Amino acid sequence: MTLTAKPLALIILVFLLGGIAFSSAMGWWQTESTKIPVTFSEGEFAGQANPVDIRGSYTFGDIANSFNVTPEILAQAFGITETEPASFAIKELETIYLDSGFEIGTASVRLFVAYYTGLPFDTTGQEIYMPRSATDILLAKGNLTAEQIAYLEKYTVDIGLNTESVIVSTSVPVQTSSEISEEYIVKGKTTFGELITWGVSQAVIEALINAPLPDSATTVKDYASANGLDFETLKPALQAEVDKARP
Amino acid sequence: MVTLFGKRIRLFRPRTIWIRRIVQWFFFLLIASIAINHTLVENDMGIPLLGSASLHAVCPFGGVETLYTFATGGLLVKKIHDSSLVLAAIVLLLSILFGPVFCGWVCPLGTVQEWTGKLGRKLFKRRYNHFVPVKIDNILRYMRYGILVWVLYVTAKSGMLVFEAYDPYFALFNFWSTDVAWSALAILGITLTLSVFVERPWCKYACPYGAVLGVTNLFRVFSIKRAESTCKADGACSIMCPMNIEVDTKTVVRDHQCISCLECTSEAICPVAKTVVFTSGGVK
Ligand code: SF4
Repeated sequence: MTLTAKPLALIILVFLLGGIAFSSAMGWWQTESTKIPVTFSEGEFAGQANPVDIRGSYTFGDIANSFNVTPEILAQAFGITETEPASFAIKELETIYLDSGFEIGTASVRLFVAYYTGLPFDTTGQEIYMPRSATDILLAKGNLTAEQIAYLEKYTVDIGLNTESVIVSTSVPVQTSSEISEEYIVKGKTTFGELITWGVSQAVIEALINAPLPDSATTVKDYASANGLDFETLKPALQAEVDKARP
Repeated sequence: MVTLFGKRIRLFRPRTIWIRRIVQWFFFLLIASIAINHTLVENDMGIPLLGSASLHAVCPFGGVETLYTFATGGLLVKKIHDSSLVLAAIVLLLSILFGPVFCGWVCPLGTVQEWTGKLGRKLFKRRYNHFVPVKIDNILRYMRYGILVWVLYVTAKSGMLVFEAYDPYFALFNFWSTDVAWSALAILGITLTLSVFVERPWCKYACPYGAVLGVTNLFRVFSIKRAESTCKADGACSIMCPMNIEVDTKTVVRDHQCISCLECTSEAICPVAKTVVFTSGGVK
């Protein structure tokens, strides 16, 4: 069979455009990331989302859709003070931390999510830096292995909300040291989630309220009044634990 | 068509495959509009109906680059999407049937090199595309396989699109963006400058995707074939070939550099009807 130019041109167009149309119909034509990471295919975690596949285009909200970590925790970990942390795209971290001299970006978020959720993550040969605020949250969760703690200790850098270079390069409002310490004061609107991220362990909180840890979004005051506890007694006890955790 | 000395010769024949130019223009404009619209979408000004796909999403080479990570862990290299794999599969099928038609008819970087080459043809006439000594040229043409191996290795190792920083195709359609590395812009500049002297220098010497598709020349179904019985041996086909393939010394073109442009055929430069043809069968 001999082909001339015109039929060949037609074949090329039909193959390419028809192929695209066919793959669209089959649902294979994806030109954008689905914002859903691939899952582990085998082992104990089979079927669960794999943090390795988190991409720079994901927002904190996208991560929260696939992993058991809230946008608020992610925002706190990486020093983001946007009013809607769910819409913060993690590729912006690199710009925000550019002046810090350390590469804190998508890889840091992957590691944070893996350690926070207890999912496997291979750090072999990788230097993934973590801001102190993120490490504090991970340590407070108390589910890390000795090896993971050692890795964090090696690559945690003391930059974050109170680092001038970071604040200057972002829209994050400058906070004075007194404002920062204000953050760690137990008040009526303080939630149990905040206590955890400030370094108070779940066991300590449970001992103080003599009950299992309530939902992380519940405020201490609401919980106290709903359960017949005296907030004014509970507050100083909790504050003492916060001060111990954040000397 | 007249018969001279027993040979059928076409008096009025096109000197070029004009429909190929139209197809090239079509894909150039399509990719350019996709690239421009992607930038507009990022700035909340996208043109309705035009997709917001990134350039990587419509590049079949991305499908090749991600093959290792996809086969070993089901992961796509960062910035690559499923559409690249779809395109890579379509282009591979086309190449097995018709050779690297993607290079000769579709790839906008090849098209732009041809456009700059027109200037070289005007300036240097017959010397154009014959500056590089044959011995050196023959060696340089295998360089693209080395580049392919390097690209596949670094991509597999890092899981990142390392080649983006050197890719003139990415630079061509993103030169206005801060995403483009200076190295890629420099390589684009060198490619376009060289194409004033050599036809398609990037395709011949450096393109890793051309290297992949070029292999299909060895077993493709439709090939360029020359009928010795009617050939006038005027060498027109070889002179016209952008890839400097000596068509007039072969009966079947199996050269790894053929791009199936059909410029050597009796439909274009060859003056004798049905002598250089694109066929799956044999010729006399
Ligand atoms: S041999 Fe013919 S089809 Fe192949 S590249 Fe040369 S001119 Fe084009």
